[in-house]
Amino acid sequence: MKKLSLFTICLIILIGSWVFLRFVVGGIISVPIPSSVIAMYMGLIVIAILVHISVEDSQFREFLRPIHETLVEDRRRIHRRVLVVLIPLFLLGYTYSIIAQRANPPGSPRDAHPSPPLELTYKDEVIGTMQDVVNPYRHYEKDDPEEFKAHVENGRRVYHQNCFVCHGDHLDGQGHFAPYLQPLPANFQDPGIIPNFQESFFFWRIAKGGPGLPAAGTPWDSAMPIWEDTLTKEEIWDVILFLSDYTGYQPRTFGEAH
Amino acid sequence: MRIRTIALLLILFGTLAVFSPADAQNAPEASERGKEVYEDSCAHCHGVEGRGDGSAAENLLPRPRDFTRGLYKIRSTEAGQLPTDQDLFDIITEGMPGSSMPEWETALSTDDRWQLVAYIKTFYPGFKENETPPKQITLAGKISYAEQSVEIGKELYVELGCVECHGNVGRGDGTSAPTLEDSWGFQTWPANLTQGWTFRGGYDTEDIFKRFIGGIAGSPMPAFEGDSFLNFGLTAEESKRLIELENRDEMTEAEEEESGKFYEKMDAAVDIALTIQEGGEVSAADIQTYNDAMKIVYEKSWHLANYVKSLMPEKRPEPAIGNNVLRSQYVQGALPAIDDAVWETFEARYFPLVGQVVIEPRQFNPTIDGVHVKSFYNDTEVAFLFIWDDRTHTTDETDENTGKTLEDALAVQFPVKVPQGPTAPKPYFLWGGRLPVYLWHWKASMPEQVTELTAKGINNAEVQEVQGELEVQSDYTDGQYKLWVKRALKTEDKKDLQLEPSVFVPIAFSAWDGSNGDVDTKRTMTSWYTFVLEPVPSSRRFVYPPLIAILSVGLLFGLRAFVQRRNSEEV
Repeated sequence: MKKLSLFTICLIILIGSWVFLRFVVGGIISVPIPSSVIAMYMGLIVIAILVHISVEDSQFREFLRPIHETLVEDRRRIHRRVLVVLIPLFLLGYTYSIIAQRANPPGSPRDAHPSPPLELTYKDEVIGTMQDVVNPYRHYEKDDPEEFKAHVENGRRVYHQNCFVCHGDHLDGQGHFAPYLQPLPANFQDPGIIPNFQESFFFWRIAKGGPGLPAAGTPWDSAMPIWEDTLTKEEIWDVILFLSDYTGYQPRTFGEAH
Repeated sequence: MRIRTIALLLILFGTLAVFSPADAQNAPEASERGKEVYEDSCAHCHGVEGRGDGSAAENLLPRPRDFTRGLYKIRSTEAGQLPTDQDLFDIITEGMPGSSMPEWETALSTDDRWQLVAYIKTFYPGFKENETPPKQITLAGKISYAEQSVEIGKELYVELGCVECHGNVGRGDGTSAPTLEDSWGFQTWPANLTQGWTFRGGYDTEDIFKRFIGGIAGSPMPAFEGDSFLNFGLTAEESKRLIELENRDEMTEAEEEESGKFYEKMDAAVDIALTIQEGGEVSAADIQTYNDAMKIVYEKSWHLANYVKSLMPEKRPEPAIGNNVLRSQYVQGALPAIDDAVWETFEARYFPLVGQVVIEPRQFNPTIDGVHVKSFYNDTEVAFLFIWDDRTHTTDETDENTGKTLEDALAVQFPVKVPQGPTAPKPYFLWGGRLPVYLWHWKASMPEQVTELTAKGINNAEVQEVQGELEVQSDYTDGQYKLWVKRALKTEDKKDLQLEPSVFVPIAFSAWDGSNGDVDTKRTMTSWYTFVLEPVPSSRRFVYPPLIAILSVGLLFGLRAFVQRRNSEEV
C-alpha cells in the first residue's frame, strides 16, 4: 500500500476529529455538543497540526508537496480542474447558507435547582427555617411502621389524584400531559433528584409551585401548580413520603450535610 | 472456525427463544408476585379489586378498565371473545395512546408483566371457565392500501352508518357523538379518525381492521358481525341492490318480492351468526353460509380500514418547540381572508393542548388535541388563522352542576411587553401574574368578534376599555373550527402588544370545549411558545456568495501563477 502523504494524514485527522466530536461524542456517547465548543476543540487541533508540520523545514515542505503538485504538475491536471470547480461551488453554497439563515429564538436558560427562601411557609404560616424543618411523619418509619404505612398510602392517593397526569405512573416525569410541557415535569426516578434535597425543599417546591420560584430562578414557564391552595400540610408531607417510598430514594437529611 | 461461531450463536439464540417469556403465548399461573405488582402499579387507577375504581379513576376519561366484566377493548380475537394472554401483555407493555394508560415496558420487567396478565385474569371468572382458546381474527385476506380500495371504503363509510358517530370526514363529530355511553354508563366520545395517534390500539391498517371485526368491547363501537352489520349475509352486489330498492319511493311487486328474498337471506345468516356466538349446534351447510357472509364482512372491513387510514396524517405533528417556531410570512398588499387558497401553501405550526390542572376547577380530561396556526403579515397588519378540532359546536349550553353557560372558545395570549433578552422574565404562562398578558378572547356565540383582555392571573382578567379594531372571521365545519383574526401591527393602546418584524414574541393558547364542561379555569391550554414576524430575506444573499466564489477562482489561479513563477526561478 502506498504511504499516505503528510497532507492527507492531517486532513484525515481534522475531518476525523470533527466527525468524532459531532457524531460519536455528541450523539452515540452523549448529548450533542454546542457548535461553539466543537469550534474551540477544532481550533486546538488545527494549532497542534500547524505546530507539528512547521517544526522542521523539511516537514513543512513535505506537507506542502501535494498542494504544489496539484497546482502545477501536468499529471494532476484533472485534480486541478475538479478543484477549481468544487472549491468556488462550496464557498457559494456555504456563504449563501450563512446569509440566508433564519434567526432562531433565544434559548431559555434553565436553573434546575433554584435556591429556596430561608423560611419555609405554608400559605402565610411560618413552619420554620428551611434547614431545620423535618417531615413531621418521617419518624413513624422507625417508631410506628403501621402509622407510617398509612401516611405513605395517603400520599399515594394524593399523588394519583393530583400529580400523576404530569409526573407519571412510574414517577418518572412521563405522565400523559408531560410531553407537551416546557420545561418537562421532574423525574423522581432520576437518582439526582430526591437524594440531593431535604424534605423541606420538596415541601417548598410543592407548596409554592412554578409561581413561587425566586425572581432570579428560570424558567418561568413551569406548570407546577401552587399546591398549598389545594392540599393540606399533611397531604404535602405524605406525598413526599410516598415519593421516597415508591422510588426507594431517601431525601437528604440535615445530619448528612455535615 | 466461522461456521462453528455461527452454529454456537444459533444455539444460543435458539435457547434464548425457547426460554424467553416474551415468546410465551400463555401467562403463568397467578401468583403473589402478580398481586404485589398490580397493587403497586395498577391499583391506583384500576382499583384493588379490579373494578376500575382506583383513587385516580374519577379524574380520568376514558375511565380505567373494570376488569371484572371481561370486556376488553383491544383484542386480536373475534367478536364476543376474550382477549388472548398476548393481547393483555401487549397492552400492558405498550400502553394505550389517547388515554392515561402508560407503557410499562420501562418500569416493569417482562416477567412482572406476565405475572400481571395472570393476576388480571383472576378478576373475571370467564377466563378460567373458558376451556377453548379464544378465536383469533385472521389477517390472511388483507387488501393492501390502494386508491381504489380507499374509494370503496369511502362509500362503505356512509353506507354502514359510520358517519352518524364519526362524522362526515371522520372528526368524531357525528350527530350521535354527544349521546354515547360505554357499558358502565360513562360518557364516551367516538374516535377522531383524523388523529390516529389517539387510537388506543394503534393505527396501522391491521389494527383498525381488528377493531372492526372484534369490536371495541364495552364501547358503543359494534363488531362487524351478524345483526350489527348492515345487510349481513348479502354479497356486495346484493347489498347495493337492496339499498337501491329501499331508496325508491315505490316498489313494483317484483321488486318487493326481490327485496323480501334478500331479507330472508339476511335473517337466516344473522340467525346462524347468533347461534354460533352462543355456542349452539350448527350444520356444515350453516357454517358454509356463515363463512361466506363473513368473507364479505372481511373484505368490506379491509376497504373501510384503508379509507380510515387515508383520513389521518402519518403521525402526530411535531409541537412548535425549539427553532420550529411560528413564523409569520411577509406578503405585499392585502392579507388573505379566511377562505383564501393561499393559506394552503403555509405549513401550519402545531401547538398541543393539555388540561389545565393548576387552578380549581381543573380539567383532567381534555377533548381538544391541539391548535394549528398559520400567519401572514404585511407592512401594517398581521393575520392569523387558528384551526382546531372540536366534536360539537356549542354556543349556549347550561352546565348541570354549576348553572354556568358552556360554549366553545379560544384565547390567544401574548405578553403586553415582549421580554428583552433570554434572562428577562415572561409573564406567568397561565394568564399572567405580576407581569400582565394581552389576550384575544373568541367565543363561539359571537363568531365575528374577538374581545381584547388584559390579565394578571387566570381569575384576574379585564376587558380592555379601548377595544382595538380587530377583524374576525370564523367557521365551523365537520368538527373543525377555523378562526381568522387580523390586527394592525402597531396600535395606540398601551395595553396592547406592539409588533415588529424579527422580534421573537411569546405566544400561548387556551381552548374551551363547551360540551366537555369547559368553562373559566376548566379548559385546555399550552405554556409559552414563540412567534415571530419573519423578516423579508436580505437581498445580500444574491450578491455576496457569487462574489466570494469568483474571488476564490481568482485566488486559485493567482496561487498557481505564483508557484509556477517561483518554480521557474528556482530552476
